Amino acid sequence: MSRLFEHNGAVNTGYSQPTPIQCESPPAVPAGLVRNRAARWPRLSEPEMVRHFTWLSKRNFGIDTGFYPLGSCTMKHNPRVNEVIAQLPGIADIHPHQPEHHLQGLLSIFYEMQHMLEVCAGMDQVTLQPVAGAQGEFTAVRCIQEYFRHRGEAQRTKVIVPDSAHGTNPASAAMSGFEIVEIPSLEDGRMDLDALAAVADETTAAMMITNPNTLGLFEADIKAASEIVHQAGGQMYYDGANFNAILGITSPGLMGFDAVHFNLHKTFSQPHGGGGPGSGPIGVKAHLAPFLPGPLAARRPASSGELAQAVDEHWYHWEQPKHSIGKVQQWHGNAGAVIRCWAYYRRYGSGLKAMSEHAVLNANYLRHAIHREAKKAGVDHLFVDGAETDVAKHEFTLSMQPAKEALGVSAMDVAKGLLDRGYMAPTVYFPLVVPECMMIEPTETESKDTLDTFAEHFAQVLKTDAEALHEAPTTTPVRRVDEVYAARNLCLRHPYEEA
Amino acid sequence: MNDVVDQLPNRGREAEMLLEMGLDSMEDLFSDIPEDVRFNGDLPLPGPQSEEEIISDARRLLGANIDMGSRPSFLGAGLYRNYVPAAVFQLVTRGEFLTAYTPYQPEVSQGMLQAMWEFQTLISELVGLPIANLSLYDGSTAAAEALTCAVRVHNRKASQPNTVYVSALTPPDKLSVMHNYCQGAEIEIRTLAHNADGTLDLEALNEAAGSCGVYLEQPNPLGVLDEGLTTVKSIIGDHTALIVGVQPVSLGVVEAPGHYGADIVVGEGQPLGSPVTGGGPLYGIFACSKPYLRLMPGRIVGRSIDVDGKEAYCLTLSTREQHIRRHRATSNICTNETLIALMGAMHMALLGPDGLRDLANRNMMACQRAKEVLSATPGVRLVHDAPHFNEFVIEVQGSAAQCLAYLDSNGIIGGLDMSRWYEEATSQILITTTDQTTLADIESLSAQLALWSTHMEVLA
Repeated sequence: MSRLFEHNGAVNTGYSQPTPIQCESPPAVPAGLVRNRAARWPRLSEPEMVRHFTWLSKRNFGIDTGFYPLGSCTMKHNPRVNEVIAQLPGIADIHPHQPEHHLQGLLSIFYEMQHMLEVCAGMDQVTLQPVAGAQGEFTAVRCIQEYFRHRGEAQRTKVIVPDSAHGTNPASAAMSGFEIVEIPSLEDGRMDLDALAAVADETTAAMMITNPNTLGLFEADIKAASEIVHQAGGQMYYDGANFNAILGITSPGLMGFDAVHFNLHKTFSQPHGGGGPGSGPIGVKAHLAPFLPGPLAARRPASSGELAQAVDEHWYHWEQPKHSIGKVQQWHGNAGAVIRCWAYYRRYGSGLKAMSEHAVLNANYLRHAIHREAKKAGVDHLFVDGAETDVAKHEFTLSMQPAKEALGVSAMDVAKGLLDRGYMAPTVYFPLVVPECMMIEPTETESKDTLDTFAEHFAQVLKTDAEALHEAPTTTPVRRVDEVYAARNLCLRHPYEEA
Repeated sequence: MNDVVDQLPNRGREAEMLLEMGLDSMEDLFSDIPEDVRFNGDLPLPGPQSEEEIISDARRLLGANIDMGSRPSFLGAGLYRNYVPAAVFQLVTRGEFLTAYTPYQPEVSQGMLQAMWEFQTLISELVGLPIANLSLYDGSTAAAEALTCAVRVHNRKASQPNTVYVSALTPPDKLSVMHNYCQGAEIEIRTLAHNADGTLDLEALNEAAGSCGVYLEQPNPLGVLDEGLTTVKSIIGDHTALIVGVQPVSLGVVEAPGHYGADIVVGEGQPLGSPVTGGGPLYGIFACSKPYLRLMPGRIVGRSIDVDGKEAYCLTLSTREQHIRRHRATSNICTNETLIALMGAMHMALLGPDGLRDLANRNMMACQRAKEVLSATPGVRLVHDAPHFNEFVIEVQGSAAQCLAYLDSNGIIGGLDMSRWYEEATSQILITTTDQTTLADIESLSAQLALWSTHMEVLA
């Protein structure tokens, strides 16, 4: 056990600093503001610090460690060149308030990314400012809100959300001040058009939906849904969390959506870093564009005087949308994440469709392989598909309800059994519409061999004695963690002995 | 042009995999997508590139940007160029940290969970409050979420319900974020006046009593260290949250706001652990006292035990969050800035308490020297006769915009044109120094400003 706060050696600091600039009269903090009690931070030398964090890293599981089929999270490989690029001084050491002629490279990359996302989503204008998917949702819903206020339709105070939606959808709409109208899904997990038609009216501002949905099914009726919402005067919002399934095959624009957010950290491989950072750009149709947060990257032909500093024949500049909602982040968004995703996009270019094709190929193959291996092992009666379908998209769900009933083995037990076999567990208990749900998303960057082996292990976990599975995991750095204990005995920081 | 095979391990095995599934073509995988929503043909984008081509383009394009390290730079205004030790970059790119998702399976995520619990402790100690979350997006969203949190906690007893007060000095971009976050709950944001010397007008503060919260910064946006903030809590009382925005490095020498009555402390974490990176990713600090705990935004790690009674960590108090509480959640935040917070934790661990004090002193000494030199520079006036941490406002001859353009043409990034924040301040510049500022930088700024003052008509 390595504990940071037990390091309190004689060493003053892990990195000594140069002598400060000398002054004629030394600066003074006002008497009433002088800090007398220093922060009780540990004292580590560099070798101790490096060992501590290396030790911690070994107790953590990433995509680099092994297969990470966490549904809805699109845990694909993160190419390393992207990290090298993001450390170049031309991104790491630039300030968003520098003048435009200092930032022509950044602006051109922003412009290229805006354009690429517009093309892929079938939208007219993209902003890169939102820094996470949920913030993208919030931003787009705010734009829709201002659009309706601008049109004198402030009575549109409701947002429709299917019950299978990601939690961020209702949370983001509520944060903007909207009332949430939740509609139930059909038994097969698909959207219920009748339920939608029953609630869409002159108070509807928007419907928020992801397609493929959280069960990994493509909503074939999506155009009809768009028509219902549009006829009621509302806007269609596309949650881009599952964009990895459809890139280059269809687009939110073709499906009738007015606004969309992208999770660049999913689809375009910005590393998730244990929970962030992300990047959540949004794209909108022309009627919503004047309301976007500013500034946007724009360009015009460079003048002869500008050509010396220009990166191509254009001069790139910031532009403020006419009726902008203002800012959702103080600067220009997560520029460092955008750069990584730009490098990722360049890898595929016009071939992005292959990425989605292989994501869907792998998901369907894994679903097939799991059924195949379970049958071979005689455990195929212990789970069923979360949804009846011939083909899934980039992810699929399984219900462990039969195992629960037959053996008392839950989805969580299976998840923990997979941890013991060196895999990250799939998403469990989401979406809520599937009992004992496991949501599995392999992504396009896993080999057939990995998928076959995982399927074999999945079947073997189900063959494991129920008692043993309740005990799993046993090979991980710690065994099952008591979350109830954590909530009842709150210990949110190191408890120094109070003097 | 190359192929994209290096990212797709199953290239060339499609037929084999399809055959096993009983499918004929890739097209069969998409049979559920109606024709009328299909793309026709290829995406109208340039073709794929190899890693070598991409890095070559990246070097060319990003090389066209002018990085602050290439010349004397005095631009800060919320983002600061502190040196981040090499070990931080080496460790944070370890794949186990870099490529992990949110720690939903604590048994295999102990490393990041413990690191975030340590981060919470480091921040808690830094700001003098018992609770810290594991980061929000940035300083502006942390400030905005603090306002809505204050309203959730105090609205019932407030004589000015749905009302918060923020310093009139708050930069407009940050204020805009606050407005966007507050408008949904119909929270009115009023502003608090300041004295001519840059300090808060404590007389005017009385009107904020009975509101849900007051947001002030220390040092304030003018760089001023304002002793008056230590009396704010006694003026606004227990039923109004005192929210203080901090520059975290300053807390090596400046009192922790939690020690003078702050209920919530927020701030831009970036100067600890992260380069400026064009304004993101950064990390927002959010710390609070106990009454705010159950209504605060963001993820929190708790220390617990496993089934064997062994020390273990997990996410806790999740019932505040969107994935459980949905539209009744305290915030919509899901993805946060964990990895950048981890860089912060690493930097803080390397510094230790003495290193932080030294770092704060270096910032302050550079600032003091810049004030001394510039106050003796012809045509330059220091606007606020007050103690500063690492930035201060000067007044120059003529227009600040023209002066900055002149400095730029002489290879100096001169600071922030204050009219960007305050319309009337057309001849004022916010000068920022950090541990990266050298005496030579300050002297070349002074020399150019002296030239500007005497030959403005010719140089503009």
